[in-house]
Amino acid sequence: MKHLSRVAYAQRKLIWLLVLASLLIGATIIGQAYFFVAIVEDVFLNDQSFQGVIPLMIGLFLVLAGRAFFTWLNGRTGVSLASKAKRHFRGKIIDKFAKNPVQASLQGQSGRKVSVLMDSVDEIDGYYTSYIPQMIQTAIIPVMILVVVFTHHLYSGIIMVITAPFIPFFMAIVGIMTQKKSEEQMEKLSAFSGRFLDTLQGLTTLKLFGRSKQQKEVIEETSLGFRDATMNVLKVAFVSSLMLEFISMLSIGIIALEIAIRLVIYESIPYFSAFFILVLAPEFYLTLKDFGSAFHTGRGSTGAANQLIDELEKEEQVIEWGTRELQATHPPQISLTDLSYQYNEASSFRLSSLQARVDSGSNVAIVGRSGSGKTTLLHLISGLMRPESGAVEVNGRPLSDYKEPSWFGELSYISQSPYLFSGTIADNIAIGGKGEHTRDEIEVAAEKAGISDLIASLEHGYDTPVGEAGRGLSGGEKQRLALARAFLKRPSVILFDEPTTGLDLRTEQILQQSIKELSKTATVITVAHRLHTIREADQILFLEKGKLVATGRHEELLESVHEYRNMVTIQQGGDTA
Amino acid sequence: MKELRSVIKIVTLEKKDILLSILFGFLAGISAVGLFGSSGYLISRAALLPPLYALTVLIAFLKLFGFARAIGRYAERYYSHRATFTMLSNIRLAVYEKIEPHAPRIFQKYRSGDLLSRIVGDVESLQNFFLRVYYPPVVMVIIFLATIAFTTIFSLGMAVILLVGLILTGFLIPIFFAWKQRKIENEVREARGYLSTDVTEFLYGFRDLKIYQQLDDQQHQLGRSASAYITEQEREGKQRMQTQSVNTFITLLVSWVVLGFGAYIVETGDLNGIFLAMLVMISLTVFENAAPMAVLPSHLEDSERASKRLFDLTEDVREDQGSTVLEGSKARGFTFNKVSFRFPDDRLNSLKNVELTIAPGSKTAIVGPSGSGKSTLMQLLLKIHPVTSGELLVDNWKVDEVEQESLWNGVNVVLQENHFFYGTIRDNLQIAKDELSDDEMVQVLAKVELEQFSLDEQVFEKGENLSGGEKQRLAIARAMLRGERVWLLDEPTSSVDALTEQHIFGHLFEQAADDTVVLISHRLTGLEQMDQIVVMEDGQVVEVGTYEELMALKGYFYQMKQIEKSVIG
Repeated sequence: MKHLSRVAYAQRKLIWLLVLASLLIGATIIGQAYFFVAIVEDVFLNDQSFQGVIPLMIGLFLVLAGRAFFTWLNGRTGVSLASKAKRHFRGKIIDKFAKNPVQASLQGQSGRKVSVLMDSVDEIDGYYTSYIPQMIQTAIIPVMILVVVFTHHLYSGIIMVITAPFIPFFMAIVGIMTQKKSEEQMEKLSAFSGRFLDTLQGLTTLKLFGRSKQQKEVIEETSLGFRDATMNVLKVAFVSSLMLEFISMLSIGIIALEIAIRLVIYESIPYFSAFFILVLAPEFYLTLKDFGSAFHTGRGSTGAANQLIDELEKEEQVIEWGTRELQATHPPQISLTDLSYQYNEASSFRLSSLQARVDSGSNVAIVGRSGSGKTTLLHLISGLMRPESGAVEVNGRPLSDYKEPSWFGELSYISQSPYLFSGTIADNIAIGGKGEHTRDEIEVAAEKAGISDLIASLEHGYDTPVGEAGRGLSGGEKQRLALARAFLKRPSVILFDEPTTGLDLRTEQILQQSIKELSKTATVITVAHRLHTIREADQILFLEKGKLVATGRHEELLESVHEYRNMVTIQQGGDTA
Repeated sequence: MKELRSVIKIVTLEKKDILLSILFGFLAGISAVGLFGSSGYLISRAALLPPLYALTVLIAFLKLFGFARAIGRYAERYYSHRATFTMLSNIRLAVYEKIEPHAPRIFQKYRSGDLLSRIVGDVESLQNFFLRVYYPPVVMVIIFLATIAFTTIFSLGMAVILLVGLILTGFLIPIFFAWKQRKIENEVREARGYLSTDVTEFLYGFRDLKIYQQLDDQQHQLGRSASAYITEQEREGKQRMQTQSVNTFITLLVSWVVLGFGAYIVETGDLNGIFLAMLVMISLTVFENAAPMAVLPSHLEDSERASKRLFDLTEDVREDQGSTVLEGSKARGFTFNKVSFRFPDDRLNSLKNVELTIAPGSKTAIVGPSGSGKSTLMQLLLKIHPVTSGELLVDNWKVDEVEQESLWNGVNVVLQENHFFYGTIRDNLQIAKDELSDDEMVQVLAKVELEQFSLDEQVFEKGENLSGGEKQRLAIARAMLRGERVWLLDEPTSSVDALTEQHIFGHLFEQAADDTVVLISHRLTGLEQMDQIVVMEDGQVVEVGTYEELMALKGYFYQMKQIEKSVIG
């Protein structure tokens, strides 16, 4: 709540506008009651002619128009306030996501993150469009009414003063009760949203295993659980408004009784005042009650607000960068000094104390069985993740000393599944380059990556949309696209996660050739799965279970390392037939 | 309204809650009218200094109306919300039931991310259908009719004014503003769509964006679409405020007319002045019930749209026509007779005149470059797609006539992309079969060399915390646990190193000794023991034979093998 209100009160102009609108609404409420009572009194008791009340009717009309207008002004200001706040929070969340290290972005629940940015931000709307304006109205209008009532009849005013505090008091109690419940509900809601996506995405698997029918029960269970959770929260809100209704009714009843007795028995109050007070009293309690419901909307936003704050305050390892420029006159030399990494405390896997040196312009293969930590090592070298201890050193300096753009400007990372952005093929190639590139350069890069024939065969060629809103590409095509990105960039460091999935032979060949071509001007570190690649490597880093078991050239390792020989000869063995 | 038929059917299931909502809604509304009407009468009456008991009776009435209103409102809210959320659950189920028979074919048509945003979002938006569209007009009309009927006792003219007011604020004005609002809402939706795409791309493409140094640009882009969305929302909100204010003004205006007209007929002697206050109070109160009508059209439209999307999802997706149920667990055979297949939106055939026999209990490998139609062939075996022409037999049944589910019940499948659910390794393995013991699962994990995993280890959404090889091995473990007699394996070990692959296949073929195995292989190694190797290129079967036969033939397979050797060696 604190976070939400701080943002609101930073908007001084809007808040003053709300105050002004509330004052005017208060005035029109009182005016409405005044004219209404005056007209009825004139017509009913004073036997005024219709002509006689026309001025009053005009007055009433103006007041009614004013009430509608100021209510509009008030609501509109609330909407502006909400927009400002949502803009603020969404901007901060985006900043936060942008600073997350890669590991955090891989840590699952991307659906949940999307929902925080989209839905949680939208859900704080009510706090600004209804809670804040109503809170200001409640601080102003009842006081105005009270003043008017006091000037007409002391005792009614006193009754109002005594009964009014019950309403906020009661509301506070209920509010505290609902807050907890609504937070629970928010958690269930987002858990549910993740669950449902998961089920849908896995529908093929579920069906093949004959499990899809059973998922219905899961869906029903979560849905009904969700209903019950929601009803629990709502019930409290409903009961509280019931109670508020009773309180205000009782209070109005007391006032009515008191006035009636004075009017009828003691005749100590003029009819006008009595009627006036009776019309104003419900308005007095109505404003307080409206605050009650606005209060719940506000509380409802707290759940969403907490999610926002949680996301904003989540401690993430921030990747710091330095100020040095990377001199790219020759391909950098890279060293691993006592490099260790663990995903988290609970994880059984740990990359420990790696020590290695990759010479400038050399071609190094990381070899190991799956799960031995190859990709993790590549992520550490790329600077997308920071080691727990030790360092990746580039040209004798820790990677973190360099400027981020300076390092990434020299780096190409060809992953197993390059991401396709929504845009044209040309856009997707250009994204890998440095700055602006002409269509010619892009076409040359595509040519080198052996993808130009394919592109030429498409109706719209380089302007064919791909990604989210366009054509999908096969694994081989994506790999070649990634190569085209690298050819455009001509980096001095290439990190290559060699695909393990079966590519067509042509792509295989292109990959080999291309890496060879690119490596002429770069230091290349490959997570290698092909014997060919391994043999070509100047140095092999052989990993087993997160430890660097051996380094050396292929022939050396074949001779001296038993495990390595085992692993490699299997591949060859199957091949010699 | 046609679009809403399915939803209305589901809503109407909750008959009891609907009737209770209407009943209590009416009770609350009419009591409010009674409450304020009688208070108006009370005060006028009091002015005439009646005996105290008369006032006491009136005040008792007042209290009664007050209580009835409060309790009615509570009950109305309770029942209407309960009905709504039960209804939502039913809609989710109905939608799932509708989609489920069409999976996985339906995913060809939509990306599942779309399905999610549709289903979750659309179902959520349908909660307003009952709460804001279905029953409030009924309640409003009944309250108005009752009130107008009561008013005719005093003045027909006043009843007519109320009726006109009802038509204006209950129908005409909302319809007019709904028409204005529609365009803005479309723009809000569009802006939301853009934002959602940008967010998704930002989060899922994070690593590539970072490395390409495009994160800042993409972040700005994201910031811009976020800002555009809020701007549209703001416009919508302001428009809504305007609608509400105009509506409020009209209702106030009607009461003003009632007052003026009342004053006039009091003067002409057609109305006793004592009722004037009461009638104005009634007018002011009864129009509170018309307020929900202002938001009704836009909710109606939302609901229609959501409902249409939800229930049209499966249109033009063909139902499974098969009725032959394959009984028992058995090593089956497959025969392709001149089978061709074309994807619905493609111009060219993906499979051309495939002739192939897969004998029961035989071991078949399918090889060929990517895009040659290997996976499509397997999808036909699984009846995920219907054959375009020719005939595909499962044992002796035409595949069209075989019930899809019974076909799937008898196979162990490993696809290229296997889904893993948020949960534990155990949860994900248990999908294979009922009543699996932990021991069995641990044993199979060892066979696929994942003994380092405990069954309680967490698996993230889509198995994001598992490497490609780990996912494949888990999928193989799942197939092994399933223990059926037909194995359909689509490049099951492409991300697994050769040594591990060899071990795993050792276990797999041991278990499958007497079973039918169809293995799409990305490598040409280890195929010596297969009964037949099918070589595909460009949708056609170019060669079939044993390893030795094909090598002796020195044809396509031999050449591929040479290339592979040269690549590796």
